[in-house]
Amino acid sequence: MIDPVTTIFLITLGGVLVGLGVHFIPVGGAPAAMAQATGVGTGTVQLAAGAGLTGLISAGFMYNSLATPAGLTNSNMILVLASGAVGAMIMITVTMFIGQLVYVYGVGVPPVSAKVKKDPITGDVQDIYVSKGTEGHGVPTVSFVSGAIGGLLGGVGGSLIYVQLMNIGGDYTNSGIVALAAIFATGVFYVNSVIASYNIGGTIEGFHDPKFKRVPKAIIACLVASLLCAVIAFPIMGGVS
Amino acid sequence: MMSTAAGGPASGGISPNNVIVLGAVGGLAGIYLTLLNQNLDTTIFSFMAGIGAILAAVWGADAVRRVCSYGLGTGVPSIGMLALGMGIVAAMFGLSLPESGLIALPAASGPIISFITASIIGLIIGLMANKILKMNIPIMEKSMVEIAGAGCLVMIGLSVVIAGDFRFDEGIVPGVITTGYIALVFIGGAMAILHPFNACLGPDETQYRTLHVAVEKGSLMMVLAGVASLTVIDAVSSALTIVVGLIIFVVYFKKFMADTHHDAYLVTGTGLLPTEEELE
Repeated sequence: MIDPVTTIFLITLGGVLVGLGVHFIPVGGAPAAMAQATGVGTGTVQLAAGAGLTGLISAGFMYNSLATPAGLTNSNMILVLASGAVGAMIMITVTMFIGQLVYVYGVGVPPVSAKVKKDPITGDVQDIYVSKGTEGHGVPTVSFVSGAIGGLLGGVGGSLIYVQLMNIGGDYTNSGIVALAAIFATGVFYVNSVIASYNIGGTIEGFHDPKFKRVPKAIIACLVASLLCAVIAFPIMGGVS
Repeated sequence: MMSTAAGGPASGGISPNNVIVLGAVGGLAGIYLTLLNQNLDTTIFSFMAGIGAILAAVWGADAVRRVCSYGLGTGVPSIGMLALGMGIVAAMFGLSLPESGLIALPAASGPIISFITASIIGLIIGLMANKILKMNIPIMEKSMVEIAGAGCLVMIGLSVVIAGDFRFDEGIVPGVITTGYIALVFIGGAMAILHPFNACLGPDETQYRTLHVAVEKGSLMMVLAGVASLTVIDAVSSALTIVVGLIIFVVYFKKFMADTHHDAYLVTGTGLLPTEEELE
């Protein structure tokens, strides 16, 4: 009924999308919390997990309302993935927007990137607004757009893992299968987002950041890790009855 | 005393190997002692798994302490989340395998299979971190094996405290997964492993203080798991878990406070902030 190779491939793809998505999210870490670096002032894992888990919840909601005993049609699966993507994007954009309000009106710094001279999207001059001794501050337009793309990729990746696990489990009315699929998707999500954050090694502003060139290494690492998790997932989800 | 800020190996009283033996053997022993539950047809021995989970958390916290002393660049919490991400995947796989009918295995082999699976996943992720991501931390592979193994044992230990049984279909699925307590076990177990070093790190970090926090955090999680088990197994067993957990918590919190006073140059009361009138 379920083709193991396709399922394992799709779970692995989901994991790789999560790892890729993390690279788009503007992570500022502790320096950004003091408005001394661009991005949101917390770690990669926290941001990715916040957005990813919201995506998982919205995807789970959509799955539950669309699933039939016969399984999910392909067009319905796309709806579930879109729902997950929108959930994650809303979460990450709201986080960036509220952070932005605090940086602009609370701390009193202009949103500016120190990695590029001109914003690649708006063309605004950046370097003259960067305070001396800092790496930029706030969430400039390019980082905001990049973060939204990151939410999209992470949300699609997380929901893809969840949908595939639910397909193996088969019975969407069994709360044991739902809970196991959700917690397993969370586990794979955390593994991939931490691997990606080790690749970034601290802070990143988005796709315009020079560190973004390290993406291929993270994709290889996430591919191996997700493949391992996917191969393990198959007997677990098939074994619950 | 050696600085444990970024850049060098951590030092401390108990050698890594002793902590590994304590965590791996103690953790597995605690989990396997709950077999008494099945043999004597009771649930009173569930607290044993909690003690196993505490020992495994101490091991995990010590491994986090050793690897994070090199400076990861992403903060200590990430490695705890990685540990439990790997741990949960491995734990569920190992516990479900003997009952899945794919391979003929004795029912009691679940925790051992989980532990071995976690170590293999940890080794592969550690190798990738050093070879592909070029993190260049000399003890990365070894530490990842340890952290994944400890994370897996903490997960199983806390789950068994709640369910009173480590068999997948009889205990873990109805008791921990269907009820949703798995989320509590996931985040709480991660906290027990990542929080001790995150709370104590700095140039004045010492091993015994960090590990005392690990025991204290592990016992708090044991109490929470005991509360959760009220709805899964009977009240007497969960009360025993809660009481044992609280005793360990109080003892080790006092030890932690004593360590803090011992390591501090001076502990002094500053009084309350002055009021506006006093400032004028």
